[in-house]
Amino acid sequence: MNQTPEPILLVRDVVKKFGGLRALDGCSLDVRPHTITGLIGPNGAGKSTLFNTIMGLFTPDSGTITFNGGQIEGKPAYRLVPLGLVKTFQIPRELRNLTVLENLLIAAKDVPGERLSRLLLEFATGRRREREIQARAEELLAFVGLAGLRDEYAKNLSGGQKKLLELTRALMSDPLLILLDEPVAGVNPTLAVKILGLLQELRDQGKTIFLIEHDMDVVMNRCDWIVVLHQGRRLAEGAPSEVKRDAQVVDAYLGG
Amino acid sequence: MTDLYSAVIEFVNFLIPVSIFAILALGLNLQWGHTGLFNGGVAAFFGVGAYTAAILMTTKVYPSSFDPGHWGFSLPFGVAALGAVFMAAFLGLLIAIPILRLRADYFAIATLALAETVRLVITNAEGVTGGRIGIREIPRPFDAFAAGRPALSDGYMALLAVGLLMISLLLIEFLTRAPWGRVLRGIREDEEATLALGKNVYKFRLQAFVLGCAFMGLAGAVYASYNTTLSPDGFDALVTFTIYVMVILGGSGNNAGVILGALLFYSFDWVSIRLDDYLPDWLALRFPNIRVMIIGAILVAFVIYRPEGILKERKRTYPPVRTR
Repeated sequence: MNQTPEPILLVRDVVKKFGGLRALDGCSLDVRPHTITGLIGPNGAGKSTLFNTIMGLFTPDSGTITFNGGQIEGKPAYRLVPLGLVKTFQIPRELRNLTVLENLLIAAKDVPGERLSRLLLEFATGRRREREIQARAEELLAFVGLAGLRDEYAKNLSGGQKKLLELTRALMSDPLLILLDEPVAGVNPTLAVKILGLLQELRDQGKTIFLIEHDMDVVMNRCDWIVVLHQGRRLAEGAPSEVKRDAQVVDAYLGG
Repeated sequence: MTDLYSAVIEFVNFLIPVSIFAILALGLNLQWGHTGLFNGGVAAFFGVGAYTAAILMTTKVYPSSFDPGHWGFSLPFGVAALGAVFMAAFLGLLIAIPILRLRADYFAIATLALAETVRLVITNAEGVTGGRIGIREIPRPFDAFAAGRPALSDGYMALLAVGLLMISLLLIEFLTRAPWGRVLRGIREDEEATLALGKNVYKFRLQAFVLGCAFMGLAGAVYASYNTTLSPDGFDALVTFTIYVMVILGGSGNNAGVILGALLFYSFDWVSIRLDDYLPDWLALRFPNIRVMIIGAILVAFVIYRPEGILKERKRTYPPVRTR
């Protein structure tokens, strides 16, 4: 951890207010590339707010966010996905009356058939791209073991399968940085192990993972780096073993 | 012979309104069935289309003591229909830009208010629309060939209406089958999730809304020509309600389904009006109200027992692609 490469994500002094509540109160942190970085902190610390602000679902009141060298704060999500940023939701947001396969197809980027202006003019290109993304989707479904449910409506999946779909869908846009809001919460232990293995595999392929998690086993054993958030600010950060011993962190979150 | 002749005329005059309703239902289906946009102002876009086409087709009428007069440009049907499509789409764009960001319920209220505004404007823009008197003697496109034979005129009109319906169906089916349509359905299911997946939700909703309005304008042009007269009474909230019933009964999100909905709804109308002659007086007198009650009961039954409509939305499956 000595030769630190340029962070892929830099958050600087970000403030996000909801009425009188400062959900993010001058929050600054870095995420280094090719790591699994964990974001922990008590309920209401601002973890989900931070993710939503990074993803452009909330506009920050002040501060800057830099992703892969470019400033992104306040940009809408549809401008960020093409840059290689994607986020999953804590409670899976499957598109209920679309099939599992369609849930993946809709998450692809650079799809000419989605543009009215190109739909007719570039019909052949569109068809080719459509086959490409479908092949990619089928590959991912096989990879996570959802291939058998390809043509099932997403609403009919079990809770764990929806969680897996949510993660798989995020991979369709071929992101550099994936923000995961509690990827294994409420998932049975076997599936959780599978998802965590998957995350490590993705990291080894060169992707960066930034995740919110409450399960200390997961955080301490699977994350390379941990950031602790408290009252909308960074309280501490470090390798799991350091954070575990930090008196402030134990006070605020981990407990005695 | 005369029986057959009148049956043909009757049939043709059944087909035309069905086609007009079906085009309206297709337009609404694009907005509501596919995208989940509750357009409470179908009547406004239909009305603007009808009046635009009528004004473009008729000759100008100057104001007189008994007629406020209206504009007129004596243009052919093709130009008038394009004008109607354009004006309805333009009105859709104008209203959508400010209100499309509103939450669904406020969007519904705003479009409902638009419909009432448009109706009042049509009623009061006397020198332009003929006010309460409206517009008469709107020409039909092929009347030059019909040479004063009403049956032939109706026949040509039916060909035109059914033809335009088919073109509308093909176009909308193509668009909704394409990846573009997939994004619309994603937005319908979960707007925020679709945004987080990188889709410009606002742009897609705007496109779907404006396109839907364009089809409603086309329906208006056909209606103006078929009816040959227009007055503001034909464009109240009841029209909007009727089209919703067709879409919901037929099957939201299923393009063929909403056409079936239009066909069944109009058939019910057609039969129930003719039933009048065979009913005892005490019933016939109350039948107009009973009709509406029956429609209401059917609608409630559907919403409870078969909310997806007669033809439910097709599950879109994709044949496997050969990899490598």
